[in-house]
Amino acid sequence: MTEINSNFIVKEVLPRVTKAAIWGIVTFIVFYYVPMMFIPQDLPENLIQFDYRAQLFNFAMISVFFAVAGQIFSKTIFGCGFGIAKAIIIIVYFFMVSEGGIFKLKIPVEEYTLNFTLDISIILLMIVSVNLLSIAKNLFEAVNILHEKSTKIDLD
Amino acid sequence: MNVTLKMFSIATIIIWIIIILFSVTAVLSVMNLNVETGELQMLPSSKGIIFSLPFSINNGGYYEIADLNLTTLVTDTNGTVFDQTVTFVPSIPQGTHINESHTITIDLDTIMSMDLAPLLLNDSSFNLEIFVELNFARVVPAQVSTNITIPWGAPLADFSIGDITVSSHNITHNEASIPVNFENHAILDMQGRLKLEVYNDSDEYVMSGEKVIAAPSQQTFADRIIAYPRIEESTRLTDTGRVLIVFETPMFIVELWENYD
Repeated sequence: MTEINSNFIVKEVLPRVTKAAIWGIVTFIVFYYVPMMFIPQDLPENLIQFDYRAQLFNFAMISVFFAVAGQIFSKTIFGCGFGIAKAIIIIVYFFMVSEGGIFKLKIPVEEYTLNFTLDISIILLMIVSVNLLSIAKNLFEAVNILHEKSTKIDLD
Repeated sequence: MNVTLKMFSIATIIIWIIIILFSVTAVLSVMNLNVETGELQMLPSSKGIIFSLPFSINNGGYYEIADLNLTTLVTDTNGTVFDQTVTFVPSIPQGTHINESHTITIDLDTIMSMDLAPLLLNDSSFNLEIFVELNFARVVPAQVSTNITIPWGAPLADFSIGDITVSSHNITHNEASIPVNFENHAILDMQGRLKLEVYNDSDEYVMSGEKVIAAPSQQTFADRIIAYPRIEESTRLTDTGRVLIVFETPMFIVELWENYD
């Protein structure tokens, strides 16, 4: 029994955890460090009254969590569940951050205030579409896993 | 099933790549956009004054800027619209440079047709609203707006008519002295002909006088306008009444009523 457990840990758990850790690190670099490299660091705090660093960090954390969970539970029903949850959370997150696709900023310039409005609803629509596609893919994958398990004949 | 899943994965990856590529190139395009404004020019015209603000846009980005719309709206404190000017640039393709100017024409005839008395007599302010709308890559509409308050100094601020004194001038006429005081709070010097018509409390015409005056900007004007009414006319003068003030300048003529007592 102990041998089976250690075999399971070495052959199944350890590679998955290692892969998940690598994916987590790569995801954090891609979704936090790379965008931060493109954002000018000398932007005055009062110029853009929108905490883009915190929002970027939150998004990176969501991505890291689901990347790690997705890798640990890959090719399982739980993995599909995490995939669907990730898609739903990303849709909700982008809706909340972009205020429904109409992104508004107030930028103080000397004694005046510039009201900046950006209509990113088409990009939001694309993000929603790609995540709906991801939900559909995970549902299909879940059905596929269940189908394979139900039709599998265990000869042992 | 496996083929379907692969297709889903490929489609998802392609759409994510498109979104990320567009977002990155859009940010780079905005960083490569160069907008410059020249000096505001004030030009006289046959109908009034033209304010011209030249500007240039160098679109060094990857996408076209379409439907650029610059609108300025000048209103007074009550919301009365004095001017609304729109400058429209249909398209600025990538890698091109445009030079345009936003021209605001102040038509004095239109302004004179409004009730200007409050603006001539009392300090106030104008509201300048600026809207810039554009369509980035024909996908992302953007708008920038701001609101600027411009103080207005009344050219005839604190206008008052002093005590009218009448003395004998000759057998047929008297000489009346009408003290006039005001402060020119405007940014421009005021020069022109000031004509006064005095009416008594029964609204009967009493006398009139005029004088060419010069009131420098931010200075107090205090002078007397001399009128020579007939003796029988001057007897109609009462302690209270109204004065029709007609101020003629090379640019405009304005008429307003003021009480005397």
